Amino acid sequence: MIGKYSIEVYNNRVHYFLTVQRNITVIQGNSASGKTELIRLINLYDTYGVSSGVSLKCGVICRVLTSNDWKTILSSLYSCIIFIDENEDFLKTKEFAEAVRGSDNYFVIVTRDDLSQLPYSVDEIYGLRNVTDSSKHKEYKRVYNETYKLYNLRTNSHFDPSLVVTEDTNSGVPI
Amino acid sequence: MLRIHFGELDSENYIYNPDAFFDNTYEDDWMMDPVTVDMVRDIDGSEVKGPRLIDSPFLGPIPTERLSGGVKTLILMKHDPDHVFNASACGDNCAGWILKLGRESDLLIRLGYLMDFGNDPFEIEIDNLGVVVHDKRELYETVLENELL
Repeated sequence: MIGKYSIEVYNNRVHYFLTVQRNITVIQGNSASGKTELIRLINLYDTYGVSSGVSLKCGVICRVLTSNDWKTILSSLYSCIIFIDENEDFLKTKEFAEAVRGSDNYFVIVTRDDLSQLPYSVDEIYGLRNVTDSSKHKEYKRVYNETYKLYNLRTNSHFDPSLVVTEDTNSGVPI
Repeated sequence: MLRIHFGELDSENYIYNPDAFFDNTYEDDWMMDPVTVDMVRDIDGSEVKGPRLIDSPFLGPIPTERLSGGVKTLILMKHDPDHVFNASACGDNCAGWILKLGRESDLLIRLGYLMDFGNDPFEIEIDNLGVVVHDKRELYETVLENELL
């Protein structure tokens, strides 16, 4: 699976906008910024469809992966966007890293811990922020949330590093 | 004093998933404790209306089980001294509360990331090393130089 996918998830209270463009996206940030609520809504839609009252707009199927039989479920999924919450204890296992490496799914992982076995870009670490008061959404009653880059390294201001760390092209983990 | 174990923790009383643990263990009287009420107001921006009812500005009236994972973990740290909780469920906005709880009683937690404890001096014992650090820079350098994360 390649390319960029926009995801819109909402119910009568909250509305999320996300874009994923790499196979691994990480969502971090403060407590109570709505990360678990996002996973909860996607899981409800995944389980009950339109009967859940949740709306989900995306060009591909979105699923939530939990510790319950994750290996079997993951092996049956293709070209999906898979969401995983931080409480799933398989996240740091070697087995999961190997399953991700051999998968054509995209993964959106909510975690603050580092995932040293998985190759992901610093550009794909996001937080969630409330944008209800922005001019785009001001007239609506729901709470609007969108992702933002936690580490924005593309700054226009002068940047004079004292140390530059690089890796060679044969390091074995292409990002 | 606040003690932090960085990285993986193998202990019988360690709770990896404080969110689920809270849902199945919290006591009604914990929720009406003024410290809990303040924590819920500060972290979740919500009001505790009763032991089983929270008024959220974003979600409306919700059961206690739908509080954020961060504030649930703080409540457990305050009210359940028998377990060690995974503080990676808490964001940086919980750091002030963790320092406060650690000043008021002995508190051991586990962390899997470098939480931002702010720029003021503090006393934190790094459990893996038995070393006490006094500010953010010393904490970060000690954790990274010893490859605890």
